Formats: sequence, C-alpha cells, structure tokens
Amino acid sequence: METLLFLVDGRTPNQLRPLTCSRNVLNRIHGSASWSQGDTKVVAAIYGPKSGTKKGENLEKACIEVIWKPKTGQSGKPEKEYEMILRRTLQSICLLNIHPNTTTSVIVRVVNDDDALLPCAINASCAALVDVGIPLNHLAVAICCGVVESGFVILDPSKIEEQKMKAFVHLVFPNSVLSVLPEESLHVGDEAKEHGLISSVTHGRMSVDDYLHCLERGRAASAKLSAFLRKNLQSQVPSNT
Amino acid sequence: MEDKASTSPASFINQAVVPGDVVLDLTNFSNQTIKLGGGLYQDSDAISVMKAGKLKFSKPNKYWVESSQKRYVPCVEDHVLGIVVDSRSDNFLVDIKGPALAFLPVLAFEGGTRRNIPRFEAGTLLYVRVVKANVGMNPELSCMDASGKAAEFGPLKDGYMFESSTGLSRMLLSSPTCSILEALGKKVSFEIAVGLNGRVWVNAESPSNIILVSNAIMRSESLSRVQQQIMVDKLFQRIQGS
Repeated sequence: METLLFLVDGRTPNQLRPLTCSRNVLNRIHGSASWSQGDTKVVAAIYGPKSGTKKGENLEKACIEVIWKPKTGQSGKPEKEYEMILRRTLQSICLLNIHPNTTTSVIVRVVNDDDALLPCAINASCAALVDVGIPLNHLAVAICCGVVESGFVILDPSKIEEQKMKAFVHLVFPNSVLSVLPEESLHVGDEAKEHGLISSVTHGRMSVDDYLHCLERGRAASAKLSAFLRKNLQSQVPSNT
Repeated sequence: MEDKASTSPASFINQAVVPGDVVLDLTNFSNQTIKLGGGLYQDSDAISVMKAGKLKFSKPNKYWVESSQKRYVPCVEDHVLGIVVDSRSDNFLVDIKGPALAFLPVLAFEGGTRRNIPRFEAGTLLYVRVVKANVGMNPELSCMDASGKAAEFGPLKDGYMFESSTGLSRMLLSSPTCSILEALGKKVSFEIAVGLNGRVWVNAESPSNIILVSNAIMRSESLSRVQQQIMVDKLFQRIQGS
C-alpha cells in the first residue's frame, strides 16, 4: 500500500516550489536576471560580448567565462566545480560562431541558498543570456530531483528535505519549442528532441532504476518550467502601439 | 507540452518567440529567396529563432525578430553615436556598444586629406554611419553619407548623452514621428540625435530643459502613444504650477 508523502512545506513530491523570474534587474549590467525557487534565490549578471578571448581559446568561437560568487565566504573548490558545470552547460546552448573572438562573462551571485542552487543558477543564467541578446539555439531548464531511502523520487527538494535523501541529481533539459515542422522531423531517432539531456550531475548513490525515474520526473517537470519561462519572456516583450 | 503539429508560419508572425522555436519550413519555399534579419538562423531545412522577441514579416520575403537589448549588433547603413576611445595613424577607435571596437578612417570626412585630419580626444561623441559590419571583423564607420557629403555627421558639441535600449532608439526614429517627441516639441525647443546603438544625445538652451527632455524620453519606453502624451502634459502642468 502506498503511503502519501508530503514534504515539509505541504507540497506533494511532484510539485515545484514557487518560481519567480525577473530580467533586467541590474542597471549598469548588459543583461541580468534573477531566479528564485522557493527560498533559493540567484542573480546572474552578464557582460558581453566583449572583444578578445583568453589565451588558448578557440579564436573562431565565442568564449564564455563564469564567475560564481557564494553568499558568504571566499570562493573555493565547490564554487570552481559549479563554474565549470555552468560553463559547459551554457556553451552547449549558445551559438558560438555568431560572434567569434569575443568573451562573455557570466557572474552568478547567490542571494539565498535553500538547496537546488545549481539548477537555480542555470535557470537564472539562461534568462540573463536572453536578456543580453546572445544568440542561443534553445533555452535550458534545470531541475533537481532527490531520491529517498524507499526509492521515492522528490522534485525540487529544499535543504531540510535534502538531508533525508540518499542521493540527488541535477538535470538540465532543453526547453519545449513551438514549431511549424511536423512532429516527426523534430525527433532524433525515436525520441523527441526536447527529451534530450544537456547536463546531469549526481550526488550520492542511487540505483540505475532510481536514476531513470528521476529522468522521467525531471522531463515532466521541465515541460512546466519551460512554459513558465516562455510566459515570462513573452510578457516582457515590448508591445507596439 | 507537445509540439504543435504543422502550424502555418502565418501564426507565428507578430507573435512572441523564444530561442529554439522553428518558425519556417524551407521545404515549402522551394524556388523563392527569403531574407533573414536579426534573430533568425538557418538550421539545415528550417529557420529557427536565436533571440527572444516578436517575429516580424515584411512583404515580399523579409523575416526578422524584433527585440530590445542594451547592447548593439552592428549593421550596415545604421546611424549610431560612437565615443572615441583612441586614435591611431590611419583610423580612430570608436566604441559603439557592440562586440568589438569600430574603426573610423581619418580620411572618412568631407574634404578630408592627409593635411587636415581632425583631432578627436578620447571621449568625443560622434554621430557616424556604419559602412562595414562583417562577422569577426571590427566594424568600419564613416562621417560622410553615401555621396561623400558631411550631412550632419561628425562630433556633437555640448548637450547631454544618455544610454537607452535599442528598442527605445528604434521607437524614437520611427515614422510618423513618435508621440513623445511630438509632444515635447510642442512645449520646448530642443535638438536630438538618436543612435540605433542605444545612445541618445539631447541639446537645448538651458540645462533644465535638457534634463526635462532626457528624463521624459527615458521614461517613455514602456508607455503607449496616448500614455506618452498624458505624461508630457502632466509634466508641463507640474512645471508651470511650481
């Protein structure tokens, strides 16, 4: 018999925390966005594209550099890891050959940390990239899924819930797109394109079945996140009068 | 959320689109030429969106995404406001809020010869025209129009320059004259230069008029035509009242 699991703040396991997103929050920055999921809040600021790349980078492509600033304290190893993951994720969604030999700096500042920090940062950076106007081939939506001892999967856990979990995984999916093409042409092999996976970072031990469960739940949630992001971006499009 | 199956391209025109949306299927346009403007790119047989904005179409075959940013993507024949950063022997380096610094050849002035090269200090504001804007290269500017005349290009003296978004610049330059400029022009006389790269320069007789006009323009971006008119009326009522 299945027992109903309610999370600390009264959500069901399939419910996401309240989301808010605002763009153009910082005045002198070329593009910025803030994203919050429940109590976790992250602000991403983007400068660029600026001319010149760092040494050793490909001159035919744009270069993205990420600076992660934690809420308190100095940047250490965990921050460097976040920077690397964020950089690889953003590199895969940007069209890098439109502005060759340029550098775009993404600065992520953690305002409040209530877990699911990396997905929040990825979502904020993606919204900020749209604000700057950097060409993207699709948007990225990120979600955190946790696995409890019994094998149950919970979406978007907060810090209290995270302590009860044996493992969790951060997943980044491309957004759902509207298209004029018939559905089949958007499929790669048997799967729809939007069911692809951009990044996946796991912590802790979980079985393969648990991981596949997380993927499924994450995909379903990414559709909701996609719709939220699309609505948010549309509402800030200036209307002609 | 599933993809909409075979929606016609007409349904995307004047709709807000986000990066990743596929808006045109090239297999329907077998023998025609299509011109793509900013924000769209070709992905084998389909045209996809790169920037979030509104998809626009102009007959017979031009498609583009209209969006408003703080930074500028250089395009040929745009009139922009640049700030001189440095000068070299054969060109000036000018910042036009784009990915790379632009070059302004020292001879690109009306009647320009090696003997009368203008001297611009760093920080001089110039109204210039973009002549070349290729991917990966620094854009090239000119202070002459296509026929070689000066035509109002060159340094702008006095006045006040402020930054805006590219969307606001386009609105100020739209024809018929946009409502905010018309309304302000009826009450106060001023001179204005609008750069498509998101810079606006305003000059008037007294500093208070300059500030009035600049603030009114900065606040008018999100307002409709009627709201802009009302805002200007209220502004002048407050000034005359005090």
